[in-house]
Amino acid sequence: MTARSLTRVTASAPASTAVAIARHAVKIYGTGDTAVRALDDVSVEFPAGRYSAIMGPSGSGKSTLMHCLAGLDSLTSGEVLIDGVELGTLKDKDLTILRRERIGFVFQAYNLVPTLTAEENIVLPLGLAGEKADQAWVDEVVKTVHLGDRLTHRPSELSGGQQQRVAVARALVSKPAIIFADEPTGNLDSRASEEILEFLQRAVRDLGQTIVMVTHEPVAAGYADHVLFLADGKIVDEMPQPTAAKVLDRMKSLEA
Amino acid sequence: MRKVTFRNLSSNRRRLIGTVLGIVLGVAFLSGTMVLSDTITRTFNTLFADVNAGTDAWVRSSDTIEAQFQVVRARVDESLVQTVAGVDGVQAAEGQVMGFAQVVGKDGEPIGNPDMGAPTFGGNWSTVEGLNPFHLVQGRAPRAVEDVVLDKKTADDGKLSVGDRTTVLTEAGPIKVLVVGIAKFGDLDSPGGASFASFTLPAAQRYIAEPGKLDAVAAVADSGVSETDLVSRIERALPTGVEAITGAELTKENQDDIQQGLSFFTVFLSAFAGIALLVATFSIYNTFSIIIAQRTRQMALLRALGASRSQVLRSVLLEAVATGLLASVIGLVVGIGLAGVLKGLLSAFGFDIPAGGTVLKPDTVITALLVGVLVTLVASLAPAVKASRIAPIAALREAAIESTRPSKVRIVIGVLVTLAGAGLVVSSLSAKTATDALGAAGQGAVLLIIATLILGPVMARPIAGLLALPIQRARGFTGRLVRENAMRNPRRTSGAAAALLIGVTVVALMSVFASSIKASVADQVNRSFGGDLVVDSGTFGVGGFNPTFIEQVRALPEVETATSLRFGVMRIADDDKSISVVDPATGPGVFDLEVQQGSLAALGESAVGVSDTIAEEKGYRIGTTLPATFPDGFTTQLTIATIYGAQDVAGNWIIGQPAWNAHAVSNTDAIILLNLRNGVSLQDGKAAVIRVAADYPGAKVQDRDAFAEEAAGFVNQLLALVYVMLTLAILIALFGIANTLSLSVHERTRELGLLRAVGMTRGQLRSTVRWEAVVIAVFGAIGGLGLGVFLAWALVKGAGKGGFTTFQLPIGTLIIVLVIAGIAGLLAGVRAASRAAKLDILTAVGSN
Repeated sequence: MTARSLTRVTASAPASTAVAIARHAVKIYGTGDTAVRALDDVSVEFPAGRYSAIMGPSGSGKSTLMHCLAGLDSLTSGEVLIDGVELGTLKDKDLTILRRERIGFVFQAYNLVPTLTAEENIVLPLGLAGEKADQAWVDEVVKTVHLGDRLTHRPSELSGGQQQRVAVARALVSKPAIIFADEPTGNLDSRASEEILEFLQRAVRDLGQTIVMVTHEPVAAGYADHVLFLADGKIVDEMPQPTAAKVLDRMKSLEA
Repeated sequence: MRKVTFRNLSSNRRRLIGTVLGIVLGVAFLSGTMVLSDTITRTFNTLFADVNAGTDAWVRSSDTIEAQFQVVRARVDESLVQTVAGVDGVQAAEGQVMGFAQVVGKDGEPIGNPDMGAPTFGGNWSTVEGLNPFHLVQGRAPRAVEDVVLDKKTADDGKLSVGDRTTVLTEAGPIKVLVVGIAKFGDLDSPGGASFASFTLPAAQRYIAEPGKLDAVAAVADSGVSETDLVSRIERALPTGVEAITGAELTKENQDDIQQGLSFFTVFLSAFAGIALLVATFSIYNTFSIIIAQRTRQMALLRALGASRSQVLRSVLLEAVATGLLASVIGLVVGIGLAGVLKGLLSAFGFDIPAGGTVLKPDTVITALLVGVLVTLVASLAPAVKASRIAPIAALREAAIESTRPSKVRIVIGVLVTLAGAGLVVSSLSAKTATDALGAAGQGAVLLIIATLILGPVMARPIAGLLALPIQRARGFTGRLVRENAMRNPRRTSGAAAALLIGVTVVALMSVFASSIKASVADQVNRSFGGDLVVDSGTFGVGGFNPTFIEQVRALPEVETATSLRFGVMRIADDDKSISVVDPATGPGVFDLEVQQGSLAALGESAVGVSDTIAEEKGYRIGTTLPATFPDGFTTQLTIATIYGAQDVAGNWIIGQPAWNAHAVSNTDAIILLNLRNGVSLQDGKAAVIRVAADYPGAKVQDRDAFAEEAAGFVNQLLALVYVMLTLAILIALFGIANTLSLSVHERTRELGLLRAVGMTRGQLRSTVRWEAVVIAVFGAIGGLGLGVFLAWALVKGAGKGGFTTFQLPIGTLIIVLVIAGIAGLLAGVRAASRAAKLDILTAVGSN
């Protein structure tokens, strides 16, 4: 029933090669003197099968851009399309279903449901949709993130790195059109960070997943295919085929 | 962030309302009851003082017989008026008669219901200045035997006016009267809602008392003679068996009677205040526990920064006192308003209360505030101690650590207390006397309630898991979340359910008790009464049918046998007893009192019968002789001639008409039971009896089943009142559940935000929270039902051994209680559910 309503929405939307598109995106917080322009006329496209990173100093609007792209926050003006669907026209329920079926999330604070086991957390989006999990696919995802022996554990029994791997698996399991990762390594040590970043990279290369990652760590951005630099709510630069060293240099000049 | 803070504030305000509501209600009922009682007392005191102002001495028989429902005072001879009038210092003396009389209204229906409401009286119209509490507002005083003056309320209720002819039901049978006047009682239309028909003295003697007899003699003193002086002078002239009291003493007696009439009402309200406060205690305990849990980090930080344990303890207790004080003040104000409402309610029930200002005594204020604050303080003590034990290290931990495993000590203590409680309750079954049984059962009940609270957290996990299983099956993934949430903090689940548990326990206890009473009464009636029809006078002891009625019934060709039952009081073995009067000639043919020894036919002039319970208790046997005093003061020896089992029908003592009739103050039949002749259909027989009964307003002709049903009818009325009160108690309990859920939602903000982010719809989220509320409510209700049914079973089988023959579970009612609890839980979850659904996802996932 829910899937059908979404199909209708998708069918009426124009086709495009980019999975996520922002056009003249403006986001203003507050009014009058205290108004802050978090996004100032941003237009950007994220093509399918690419691992993109968004970087920028604090307050540059990188998180705001991601939240608006992911349908967690709404724009003041402009539009966002995910998989061809204009988010601004959707009601809360349709937006929720779109998130459930087309978007995967990885948060900095893992955000697992403490009462559910690792496996139940992984299949959570499917469960909420009332769908049966494709066991072969679940097994493959679990194998990809090396969680085989931890599936029956609760989040409190897992290390930070393991919890984040569960979160990555959860994002992958519904085969979303795009995954948004918000500082996915922010709470992890370097070894665990490396693991997570490799999983994300492999998801793009081996499984053809599209990923947009917000980060302030040049090392993390070095894993991406393409880096976007934001400052004061505007896109100020981009860098194809980044390396950690190049990104670090660019960031220094931005913050200077 | 500002948004979150604002939400916290508003949620705290609501939580505070939930906390104080129980205290407010409890204190309101307590203070309302006190204010009402004080107000009524003062106004009636003034009223009676005014009314009796002219009476300086009151002379009456000193023989009284008191039993459960009635006081019977022997009458005095009318020659006493001359004796009193002859005493030096007496200016005037007048005979007084007062007894049962019920006026029939214009529509042919008797006015008032002396069994359920205010009494209906008849008496003589006093002609001595200062002795008559009534004053005419219309018409004239009675002069002829048929003349009657009515109080204004009765005249208004019956739509009777001066010049109307109507009927007055008296012990002498229905009599035709002419309304010649309408009178007010002081400022009131009626004395406390009672109806009063005033005749001339000779007419009153003939209809209300007996010719030549008086109930009392009232005297007015010469000027200069004090009341006490007058009474002592009169006393010297009095024969034995007659006493004199001052007008002031009479006033005091009248005031006490009114107080007693109201005691049912005040006891009832106080009981409710008690239940409300009890439920409130658990509600507050739970809320404070939650508040403490919420502030664990804050408290730990204070401790880390150098606050001492006692400082933390004091700060929490101070908050409790402030909350309690605020709630008590509100409760007091509401209570004063409530007193006004209750006063109106009493008036609506026919209990007319004189106009007068509301009386607020300092006692009421002090009691209300003290009780409210103390209850809050006691309820918050345990959470406060817990707060003071928070370790400073807790400040550094990420989140509050949920204790999931109940300690072994808790289980052991809980089981021990349960066993002790259950043991006490079960031991009440074999207790020797009802009082012992009640004591043991009561102590056991308290222990069991404590045990439930101790074991609650242990039981909450498995039971909530079990209850939520069907939800999980039906609702898939959302159901799974409901179940996990209900199970995740068993201590909180059981805390939230505790208040509801107490409320439901009382409801279940009352329901089972009432249903067993009804079943037992019906069972008794069916076993004891073999007759076809019953004619009920609707009165108990006072009033009833003139004996001519039963003769008319016996004369009917459709009737085979008819017998009557009368109820009275007399002194047997130096104690005043309620007694049933049977006709030994006709009784055995119509009813079966389960005679075990002797026979009803043996109830002659100097015989008496006793129930097997009393016989066993006192060691009475057939042939035992007991001293006895009849209502007219006649003292004799009675011999036990029968021992019977059906005490539910006949009470503990019976006597035959031959012994009773000669010495009774009243000789009317309360109930007539009859058998129809073979071949006469119930319908035809009933129609024939109804035709005869038409001359006796108030007579109710019923077949056996209808009679049995009505005999237990009083239970329904009582139950209706109990249910209304307990609905309020359950309401208080539900606020506790609502509080708990609001907090749970608050604590799970991030988790719920995540669920929304990865695709849970608002509808799904709302339903998760609501179902969790249902699980908590049903958990509490099931515990309450179990406990209540067990206690009721023990009471019926133990303390009520004599009175109950049947233990009956009102399955339907109990299921309804459970369903209502579930629905109420659903409602309790509404606010928390909508708050959860409105969560801002970004705030929730903590990304800002």
